Amino acid sequence: MDETVAEYIRRTVLKIPRDEIKSMLQTWGFLSETQLQTLNFHQTKDNISQDVVQLCEDNSADIKQAAVLDIIYNHIYPNKRIWSVYQMNKTGEETDFFDLTDFKKKFKRRLQSALKNVTINFREYEDNAIWIRIAWGTPYKKPNQYKTSYVVYHSQTPYVFISASVLRSTLPLLCQALVVASNYHDIREMELRSHCLNSLKDIVFKRYSQTFQTYYPRPLQERNVAPENVDLRIIQENRSEKERIQRVNREVFGDGPQPKLEFAQYKLETMFKSNPKMDVLDIKEPFRCLVKFSSPHLLESLKSLAPAGLADAPLSPLLTCIPQKARNYFKIRERKGFFPGSFVSP
Amino acid sequence: MEEGRAYSQDGVLSHLEMLEAQAHALALKHEETEQQEEKLARLKARVQELRLQRDELRAKVDLQQKRLLGKEGVVTSGAPDAAQPSDRAVLEWKMKSVQAMLQVFYLTGISGKLTKHGVCFCISTAYEGTYLDSYYLDLLTKPEVRIRRHSVPVFIPLEQLAKKYLQTDIKRFLSVLSDHLNAYVGRRYQADQLQERFSERLEGALQRNSLCNVLVFNYNTSGKNQTFPFSAKLLYGDLCRSLPTEAVISCTPDAPASLARRTAAHSDVFRRVALHKAFDSISSPEEGLDRAP
Repeated sequence: MDETVAEYIRRTVLKIPRDEIKSMLQTWGFLSETQLQTLNFHQTKDNISQDVVQLCEDNSADIKQAAVLDIIYNHIYPNKRIWSVYQMNKTGEETDFFDLTDFKKKFKRRLQSALKNVTINFREYEDNAIWIRIAWGTPYKKPNQYKTSYVVYHSQTPYVFISASVLRSTLPLLCQALVVASNYHDIREMELRSHCLNSLKDIVFKRYSQTFQTYYPRPLQERNVAPENVDLRIIQENRSEKERIQRVNREVFGDGPQPKLEFAQYKLETMFKSNPKMDVLDIKEPFRCLVKFSSPHLLESLKSLAPAGLADAPLSPLLTCIPQKARNYFKIRERKGFFPGSFVSP
Repeated sequence: MEEGRAYSQDGVLSHLEMLEAQAHALALKHEETEQQEEKLARLKARVQELRLQRDELRAKVDLQQKRLLGKEGVVTSGAPDAAQPSDRAVLEWKMKSVQAMLQVFYLTGISGKLTKHGVCFCISTAYEGTYLDSYYLDLLTKPEVRIRRHSVPVFIPLEQLAKKYLQTDIKRFLSVLSDHLNAYVGRRYQADQLQERFSERLEGALQRNSLCNVLVFNYNTSGKNQTFPFSAKLLYGDLCRSLPTEAVISCTPDAPASLARRTAAHSDVFRRVALHKAFDSISSPEEGLDRAP
């Protein structure tokens, strides 16, 4: 077995948390059950990884099988990477039958015709997601297994989730291969990025909770209503205002959990308006400014701003339109009728 | 007169004055009593009048009551409003009938509600008696009809349908969209049922795509076998239907000839009948044939 493969497997096993190693090796399926029994999972991770490498040596693993282990690790821990969303367009109307083998063949052929040294692995999952792992090389060097790009594609949807690798120069080639393999015409990057892959999927596939006005409301889930402190000496002075805030909040954000985003960035190119007029800033040029909101869970924190009394309800539509417009990078220019490429108020 | 004679020494004129004063006082008294008597008489007359009025009104009330009682035909306890249905009961009945009407609309599959900016439609899907997901469309009506928000899955060709029908014929748009959604949900339900109920007859998991319009699986016809000689590929060409347009069944080359002959029949059944029911029908008669050496 190749030295590099052994080292790669060892490093991949080291990344896995100790409790998960056994189940991940079982999912991998490369080592037999009896071989797994011989492993002692209570020793240090260093030793465990050495033992695993030894067993793989016995089974003569190659880089393809090692890559599968890497895909499994990234599928279970996708939040360690930043994912961007790309949207593909096609002008034709025909809905073709999506053929998985055809897709894989076209993708591989496209990439390998442009660049001989690439390792490509596919893995399909139950929710119709196709995971593609690509390790890039150059015409003179073997693929670097530590600088990989990941692509997640759901068949018959125009969206692709790409985890950018460090090698940005490979991105155009990757996009081209995707477009060809999936029978679309072009692809563009959306202004939507996050660590949480499932939340990105929720936003573009519209799986998050939206409120729609209907006559037949779905039964409200029992929310944990804390027993009200029935002390008659306490009077809520602004009870009606609190209820209004709750109602407006629920209309905007819905009842369920929000998709998880870490930041929202607004690039302002608007004129600085101040009163009294300051000579220095009274130039007929836009005042360039960047506003960035970051949080472990941005949308939940926006949802709790108004009930906590930190902001007025309803919140600015610039903040609340994020899931609906499926973007968290905005460019805001002066109102001249319409904003090219940026937020438009409805 | 004695008093008059007693004072006659003062003069006749003073005597006359005295007499005049007395006469005046008498006259006043007389007038007063007359006035009082008049007043009394007037008041007595008024009392009479009022008594008459009261008697008339009483008679009227009695008559009305008798009429009401006569209509009811039932002698009530005499309380005046027990006979009429209370306002609250009427209101409750009205609310119930409106809610029932809205429920009926919801069950028809397409229901809507006017909103501030336009209309919000709810398309509820069902397959063979089981109600499945609901999808929502929030439409704006001014300046032109456009979709503001929706919860339709991304692999349903919503933009294409909207481009074709939304401006011209909303009814057609909703009905075509409803067909697409119902068919998708039906295909998905069939695939889920197959996976759930016949998992021992399938080799591994069913392979499908997002729209559930291509299904590939290997199967056998009785659960006892460990081999899966049949290989099926179902293609659903029409996205508005939940039955396949093409069913390609093949048999592994080393399977007995008896099984190989059944592929055409299987293909036919898959194309005509819902997937999980088709499995039922192809499985039972095969039991005997499988044992053949």
